[in-house]
Amino acid sequence: MEQLMQTLKEQIIRQLNLNDKKPEDIGNDDPLFVEGLGLDSIDALELIVLLQQEYKIKLANAEEGQTVFRSIRTMAQYITDRQAQDAAAS
Amino acid sequence: MYIRSAAAVSPQASFEALFTGAAGYQGEQLSCIEPDYTSYIDPKLIRRMSRIIKMGTAAAVESLKAAGLEQPEAIITGTAYGCLADTDAFLSRLVEFKEELLSPTAFIQSTHNTVAGQIALLLKCHRHNNTFVHKGFSFESALLEARTMMGENEITTALVGGVDEIIPASHALLRRFGLYRANGDSLRLVNEPAKGTMAGEGAAFFVVDTQQSANSLARLDALQTWYKPSTPNRVADGINALLAEQGIEWKDIDLIVAGRNGDTGDDALYDLFKKDIPETSFKQYCGEYPTATAFGLWLASHILHEQRVPGVEGLKPRRILLYNHYQQTHHAAYLLSAC
Repeated sequence: MEQLMQTLKEQIIRQLNLNDKKPEDIGNDDPLFVEGLGLDSIDALELIVLLQQEYKIKLANAEEGQTVFRSIRTMAQYITDRQAQDAAAS
Repeated sequence: MYIRSAAAVSPQASFEALFTGAAGYQGEQLSCIEPDYTSYIDPKLIRRMSRIIKMGTAAAVESLKAAGLEQPEAIITGTAYGCLADTDAFLSRLVEFKEELLSPTAFIQSTHNTVAGQIALLLKCHRHNNTFVHKGFSFESALLEARTMMGENEITTALVGGVDEIIPASHALLRRFGLYRANGDSLRLVNEPAKGTMAGEGAAFFVVDTQQSANSLARLDALQTWYKPSTPNRVADGINALLAEQGIEWKDIDLIVAGRNGDTGDDALYDLFKKDIPETSFKQYCGEYPTATAFGLWLASHILHEQRVPGVEGLKPRRILLYNHYQQTHHAAYLLSAC
């Protein structure tokens, strides 16, 4: 989980061109939107693309995004859960 | 119409730098010297902007600042190629990911009117906003719209700009047409005619006004365009008519600012206007691109305001004819006076 959160931070910085940020600047529980990193709705779309591209995960519905993208930890937890579900199903 | 201010992000650092040491480039192209964008644009917005958007926005902000104007009544831009880097990124991903997983940012920013839109967002300016995409007339179309709106008393001020960028993919495509010389030397471009020119890029913005102000750079007396003239003489005749309409003769022109680009075929047309009038050119400073006349107008405006001509000693022009053609199809003449 710790490794996944570190990787996510690096991927988000790259995907969203957060050139003035380093992974250590982003707390695992910091809010990603509005306060915290200050992301907006276009960034949310970029994060959806990131999940699909890097982890082959499609959000089941748009409302999920609000909880999934709350912080790095919630994103990592979601990825871990979905990967476990996929592994169990296959 | 008065040119209240003019600012450019170009291959040259500033107007002053043209006297103290113009930047020279070797090879096929000239590239913009980019400023520290954080002094013009909110860092949170910068991260989404591609190079051309940052160049255009910085030139626009600088121009507004020089004019002391916070809100123009219209924002009008001209660009032939638009936001190429974002278009390239979007289309490349479209192919690479088989039309899935597309980045929304590159798509949103890939449209030609992104620069005008970003300036409006930055200024929170909800007034007239338009972008012209007319190849070698893109900038002229923007300026003509501002003039038309002023003529109809719709506006009194406008922010008008011309922007185009080079990216590796576009340059690779254009060089296939044999437009560029292989081993160019930009500062000798015009003095050493040969086959081909050097590619250029830039963003130049102007605040134009119906009224003269204390800091006005120049007055734009006339602007006319000719598309694919049947003979070169048709443009010469057109310029003669333009001067006559203004009640002046060739002898009243103190300086011709010509769009010579060093290509023997292209430059032959400029020789039609040789009238024993001092001439200077501008593409050795900015390279050839469809909206290069925006840089030419930036240069001519500052020449008139500062009464100094790069490379010409002692000349203090009061009236300038700026003439340019793009690939012999898009011809434009500007008549400018000192204020």
